[in-house]
Amino acid sequence: MDSIFFMIQKTVKNAIVDTVRHPLRLILYSLLILSMIYALVVSFSPGGTPEYSFDDRILEGAYHAILYFISIPILLKGLSTGTSFFGMSDVNNIFTAPISEKKVLIYGVGRRLASMLLLVVTFASYGGMAVKMFDITLSNAFLLVCGIMLMLIVVQIITMFIFAAAGGHPIRAAVLKIIIYMMPVFSLSAVTIYMFSNGLTFENLYRALTLPMLEYVPITGWIHGLIFGIVSGNVVKVIIYSVLTAVIIIIGITAFIFVRLDYYEDVLGGAESYYEWRSSMRSGTVKDSVMMGEKKIDVRKTGIRRGYGASSIFFKHLREGSRRSRLMFFNINTVVLIFVSLITGMVIKTAADFLPSTVIYISAVVICVYVQFFFSAAGDWVKELSKPYIFLIPDSAVKKLIMAGATSIIKPFVDGIAAFGILGIAAGGNISDIIVSMAVYGSFGSVYIAANILAQRIVGTDGNRGVFIAFYMSFIVLLMIPGIGAGLLAVSWLGQFTYIAATVMGIPIFIWNIFVSFMIFLMCKNLLNNIE
Amino acid sequence: MLNVSHLTKKYNRYAANNNISFTVNDGEIAVIAGPNGAGKSTAIKCIAGLLRFEGEIEICGFNNKSIEAKRVLGYIPEIPAPFELLTVWEHMEFIAKAYKLDESWKNRAEELVKRMELDDKRSKLGKELSKGMQQKISICCALLINPKVVLFDEPFVGLDPHAIKELKEMLLEMRSKGISVIISTHMLDSVSEFWDRVFIMMDGRIEAERTREYVEKNGEDLEELFFSITEKRKNGQ
Repeated sequence: MDSIFFMIQKTVKNAIVDTVRHPLRLILYSLLILSMIYALVVSFSPGGTPEYSFDDRILEGAYHAILYFISIPILLKGLSTGTSFFGMSDVNNIFTAPISEKKVLIYGVGRRLASMLLLVVTFASYGGMAVKMFDITLSNAFLLVCGIMLMLIVVQIITMFIFAAAGGHPIRAAVLKIIIYMMPVFSLSAVTIYMFSNGLTFENLYRALTLPMLEYVPITGWIHGLIFGIVSGNVVKVIIYSVLTAVIIIIGITAFIFVRLDYYEDVLGGAESYYEWRSSMRSGTVKDSVMMGEKKIDVRKTGIRRGYGASSIFFKHLREGSRRSRLMFFNINTVVLIFVSLITGMVIKTAADFLPSTVIYISAVVICVYVQFFFSAAGDWVKELSKPYIFLIPDSAVKKLIMAGATSIIKPFVDGIAAFGILGIAAGGNISDIIVSMAVYGSFGSVYIAANILAQRIVGTDGNRGVFIAFYMSFIVLLMIPGIGAGLLAVSWLGQFTYIAATVMGIPIFIWNIFVSFMIFLMCKNLLNNIE
Repeated sequence: MLNVSHLTKKYNRYAANNNISFTVNDGEIAVIAGPNGAGKSTAIKCIAGLLRFEGEIEICGFNNKSIEAKRVLGYIPEIPAPFELLTVWEHMEFIAKAYKLDESWKNRAEELVKRMELDDKRSKLGKELSKGMQQKISICCALLINPKVVLFDEPFVGLDPHAIKELKEMLLEMRSKGISVIISTHMLDSVSEFWDRVFIMMDGRIEAERTREYVEKNGEDLEELFFSITEKRKNGQ
């Protein structure tokens, strides 16, 4: 174990020295830490009584969602051969060292726990926000953060146990996986069934979020019950859920001690693919095989067929896209988007039927554009930059850039047509609002790509990913502001058309988004001058 | 013909290539040799137009970043990078379309695919191939365009004996067709039979340039020269 402590100590020391030696990284990390401290101080500072406080049941629901958001990925990762515990260097150096497998596993879990601390800090700032938005005290907010920390520890212990129990037993692993999936599915089903059987109103949503049965779910439900039991002073609840949590911790630790461990082989394959995934994410060269796993592709139609010069890149992307999904532009992202826009639209329509229909579309576009940010990470064109061909093809750089980005530009428009088309059918409203919503949503896809190109141009394709993301996000905000500003101005000037506010606001945003994206494509053509 | 003039490539203060100049004539096979970290691959990538650099590089009289130069340049990277979701044959098709090749590309592609023993794998996806096979695709793609200058970065790494034999034959054919071939390698043995000109690199500089004619005339041993340069520097002399 001494060697592990030595390695940890040296790793931490060298990481600090390395950061100090890279001024840009140091500035970035300092800014990040300062902004976190600032967020914590501001959010926890007393700001008088809030003018309006939201229903506390929203907080209960959100807290439940956060617990699931943190615990389920950890449990699933633990099950998938412990890839989140160990890196390739651990496999190559620690696994081969004469150290007990249990100690090695404790090290792996500890390492993972340390990396999760940042998450706790992030949620701590949300705790301060909760004090401002809801009718809770500072000590209750602190309690919520403690609940998250408790859950992290419990989940890591359980993960350690299930990892040890499932190692080398595919059937056990499959059963455990189903059980893990069942936890959020149960809660979601309970909320959905309650909503649909009692009506889609805000009041019913709040009631559904605080259904007692949601706290029956092991770990997340129990910790939720324990924390909110303390907050509400419900002693019975506190006793029941603290006993249940303590029992599961004891079972987890005892079982771990007595399970015979032989997990190195399972970790090896997982760690290799995780290493590959991390390398590609760091370098921005996301490979299809990494994203799609080892999924077997049935090569049916072959041939690129069309394209000449730069346009051959676009037709190549179409062929590649058809192999990723038979429906090409229609994938899981489209389904998620349809779901998000429908839920947003229908809740607003049902709960606030006094508002004009145009509000439905404005709200749905805002939320969908936010969701789109998470979908826009690795378009076809980003993958293209990791290979030499796009740089070598003898054609105009602007044409190559536009053609390489074409599928990524088209995709949000297809998603927008699907999501707002279906929302239009379900919620009704003005046809111009529906069409403009589709167009505006699609045009934000171009802005995301433009911001990405701009960040690639500044940082370089092989630059630091952290710096890259900081630039990328800043550019997104900078590029969006003028369009949104123009949209708001248009609405204020054309006050008599507020019943079609989505259209009035959307047209200038759409025009700006397309204009600014195209200009950036033109200005950044030098991106293809070299691979750096 | 390839003309490299005062090429300098710096990473911050470190010069991976330090003011190097050389010429490779038509129908010549030139070898850039040197130990790991000598700057061979960096030079090859600069010539391919993939990196920023100071100095001038001309391919058949055109600036290496111009479209005219790209049209006649074939590049085989050290690490093969095929498109994972394209079949072997679709790689050929893509290159033909991207480089706007005339219809005769199909015959050339057929020949290349056969010579590289990829004809029974033409419907296989890039990601389904082994590293060696992926390397063969890179070679086929580079040669399909009928290049006038071809850059090979460590071409023999990962290839099976048959592919090495075929590649060597192809290199000789390229020479007879007047193509300038530049090979970067640290394994002098692998190119000993067919090189015409050799540049020995060390610490980003060309420390020696020899032609086969000169070496044969003076009875010089290339391997000895190589080690005398690379080991002398290592020993701090």
